[in-house]
Amino acid sequence: MNAGEILSVHEARVSRRGFLGSGGALAVVIGLHPSLAGQALAAEAVQVDATRLPSWIEIAADNAVTIRTGKCDFGQSSIYTAYRQIVAEELGVSIDAMKTVISGDTDTTPEGGGTFGLLRSAQNLRKVAAITREAALELASQTLGVARSALSVKDGVISGGGKSVTYGQLVAGQDLQLAIKVSGDLNAPFGLRVEGNPPFKPRSEYTIIGKPVTNPSLEPKMSGKAKWIGDVKLPGMLHARVIHPATLGSTLVSAGKLDSAQFPGARVVTVGNLLAVVSPNEWEAVQAAQQVGGETQWSEWAGLPESGQLFDHMRNAIDWAEYPARPGRANKGDAKGVKGARTLIAAYGMPFQKHAPISPMVSVGDVRPDGSVTLHTISQNPQHLRRMIARMLVTGEDKVVVKTYPGSGHYGRSNGGSAGSEDEAVILSRELKRPVRVQWMRADDMQWSTQSSASVADIRIELGDDGRIAAYEAAHRGPPMQDDRLVGAMLAGLPVIDAPSAETTYGFQSGLVNIADTWVYAKVDNVFEQGHGAGQIGQKASPIGVGLRDHSMRTPIQFQQNCPRELAISEAAALAGKDALQFRLDHVTDPRFTAVLERLRKESGWDTRPSPAPAARSTGKAVVRGRGVSIMLRDNGYWACAAHIAVTPDGGEVKVERVTIVADVGVVINPLQLRRQIQAGCLMGVSQALFEEVTFDKGAITSTDWAGYPILTMQDMPELRVVIASDPTTDEYGQGSESANALAAPAIAAAFHDATGKPIRRLPLRPEHVAAALSV
Amino acid sequence: MPRITVNDVEREVSASPDTPLLYVLRNELDVMTPKFGCGLAQCGACSVLLDGEEVRACITPIEAVAGKAVTTVDGLPARWAKQRGLSPQQAAGKLHPVQQAWIEEQVPQCGICQFGMMIKITELLEQNAKPSDADIKAALTTSGPSPHLCRCGSYAAILEGAQRAAKLMAQGAEA
Repeated sequence: MNAGEILSVHEARVSRRGFLGSGGALAVVIGLHPSLAGQALAAEAVQVDATRLPSWIEIAADNAVTIRTGKCDFGQSSIYTAYRQIVAEELGVSIDAMKTVISGDTDTTPEGGGTFGLLRSAQNLRKVAAITREAALELASQTLGVARSALSVKDGVISGGGKSVTYGQLVAGQDLQLAIKVSGDLNAPFGLRVEGNPPFKPRSEYTIIGKPVTNPSLEPKMSGKAKWIGDVKLPGMLHARVIHPATLGSTLVSAGKLDSAQFPGARVVTVGNLLAVVSPNEWEAVQAAQQVGGETQWSEWAGLPESGQLFDHMRNAIDWAEYPARPGRANKGDAKGVKGARTLIAAYGMPFQKHAPISPMVSVGDVRPDGSVTLHTISQNPQHLRRMIARMLVTGEDKVVVKTYPGSGHYGRSNGGSAGSEDEAVILSRELKRPVRVQWMRADDMQWSTQSSASVADIRIELGDDGRIAAYEAAHRGPPMQDDRLVGAMLAGLPVIDAPSAETTYGFQSGLVNIADTWVYAKVDNVFEQGHGAGQIGQKASPIGVGLRDHSMRTPIQFQQNCPRELAISEAAALAGKDALQFRLDHVTDPRFTAVLERLRKESGWDTRPSPAPAARSTGKAVVRGRGVSIMLRDNGYWACAAHIAVTPDGGEVKVERVTIVADVGVVINPLQLRRQIQAGCLMGVSQALFEEVTFDKGAITSTDWAGYPILTMQDMPELRVVIASDPTTDEYGQGSESANALAAPAIAAAFHDATGKPIRRLPLRPEHVAAALSV
Repeated sequence: MPRITVNDVEREVSASPDTPLLYVLRNELDVMTPKFGCGLAQCGACSVLLDGEEVRACITPIEAVAGKAVTTVDGLPARWAKQRGLSPQQAAGKLHPVQQAWIEEQVPQCGICQFGMMIKITELLEQNAKPSDADIKAALTTSGPSPHLCRCGSYAAILEGAQRAAKLMAQGAEA
């Protein structure tokens, strides 16, 4: 034993660092060094010593529990609800004892990693809590003189053998540390991972998981007390507006001359191709940036296909053989060799879509004379953002602190750190030697952020004599999922990580496209799926290396692949003369899918019959109606969705009247919050299906505001029915905040086929695309 | 120096008369609940009440609000207390029923749009104490310069929140 060590449990050690006159606490800290070698990339920068990080869990003498997580909240509330419930459950304390959640800031949280797959990430805290409980039981055994095997914990009280002690009493007057073993690299995209295999509380004994705990962060937000990222003000702070290049490949020829008579407080700043106007007065900065921007000369560039030609470009102009193809994990049999009685061959297209936060990105950079940096922002991955900022400045990671605040949700755009504006705020602050607040305007956010990548799919389904699928073949082609390079740094000519390519393997920064949509039709004997990657569109040809940068967005890539797959399955059902829901039941083997599909049939009022509908029509002013279905397996969650829609063939209007979702996500941590997540995700999905498409000309994105990039309004909201029907026998935690957004599109597009008799094989279902589909 | 009345307090501001109200509220007066969304009156994140009518602060110059009363979400509790004739003691710590309903129904996802949503629903409920779902949808879609947009898709929750707010206001009015 080391000095002060009083016990060891599940590869973790408890030590007493001293006795205290009052108070007392048990703090759970990182014990063993994580691998600081990490990625090759990291070797250049000075590393943060992870052993000196803040604790994961602290238990105080008054029984109050604090938890810390590097994840942030983007409105799904999980770190304030599910995380508290999971820790309380494992510790054996009440939810009310879970007083404080500290999240996100790089100087006050221990684990790093991105805010995605939150329940998977919650396994870190769950393990820490279970280890802490086991350690407390050992301590209590020593304190009470009762055998460990005779002790149990409930509501924060450890008891047995006629004696009892609370967590608070165990730690009172002492300074205790529980050091746990971790692996991984704090500032890498995935952060640290807790090691050890402590026993978890069995599901049958849960008393807190499964309860509709409310989100404590809403009261301060809705009352106006919370400080949002846009509300941060620092002494001496300047307001900046960045004048981004005219196209995604333009360089600065000459910056416009500021009209100093009109804007006396403003000033122009240029760092390479990064051009900005700053002023102590925000409105002056806005106006002066418009004036200067109007007189700025940029080089011409035309390296993009126009959005109207996007799918042709992807099919004909991109060399998909440059990057290795990635086979699907479910591939089996001889799909290419099978010829069935009937064949569906169909080509599908998924457009670029935008994360489109309601509030454009905003950050405050504060670079001080000693070179230390504080970056105030909102990020799904603050530790990794720190690494990217340190790399940009060629300084140590220990010099950079990222502080996070509530802000506009942006659905994955910053899960690799940056969503835009952060790097620009830091660069300008370094240049001006004052804190600088960069607020992107609507057009900056639409034109200079990343987008959810476009995709095309070619699918072939062979139907056997029995009308079942004999073979399924699919090729999914698209640019990379993710580009975590800092765009302001690129404009300024400062260091960034490599662009995604066939060779890059850092984080998600890969140009290869995997099959992300888990195959679920296990009864199909012959399956061949392949993913094909390429560079980002326009990026290589762009003198500034930008082009159409991509980034994961809610249910990333699985959405791009599941939508064509599910549409093709519905089309194959129609070709076979089978009902689309029954057709799916006929091809799945997993009983959890059978259960959600049968439940969907009941809850949605599904009329079992083949598509198209008997009254289907593709012309006329009269409304025709149809229904479609889709399913998905994601992160242990089994999902089924039915959409009922109305189409007016003349004019091409599509109205979604009703959406029903059945979800089996395993253990439901919080049914109240899960229901809200599913409702919201589903409506985002309806929006993606009906309206959303990034438009661009040969140089720039032209959908620059909400008129050019419309999203769902409340008037267009369908009637929504969400049914949470979890398998009671599984111990797995599924995810709730994704999937729901991906289900609507294939169900709606299938319903369109049902209503009109004409397939639609591209999103969104805007009138011009609907008219094209109906005219075939 | 222009003078404007915000949440029942007359304030002197130094901004030029053409400055949009949003920048004056946030930067000069530290009234932070109206949020910047688009600067184009396309989303509703910056909505405030002007003499009880919802307007978009991002395109409303302060010269247009002279002599009128601006109410933001920060001022909703006091507005409710005044409408109900509550004493400061009775009103202490109480939120406006719309805010209360938003919390009870756990309406927000990220929440950035909800300040504008709550302003619009307050305007609606002051004029129509028992709105139908269609009335609520119309208020948030067709009644203003643009629809009130929620990117997270919290519309179903907003509908439930608005109906609960109507009930809470009715109960408050009887109390």
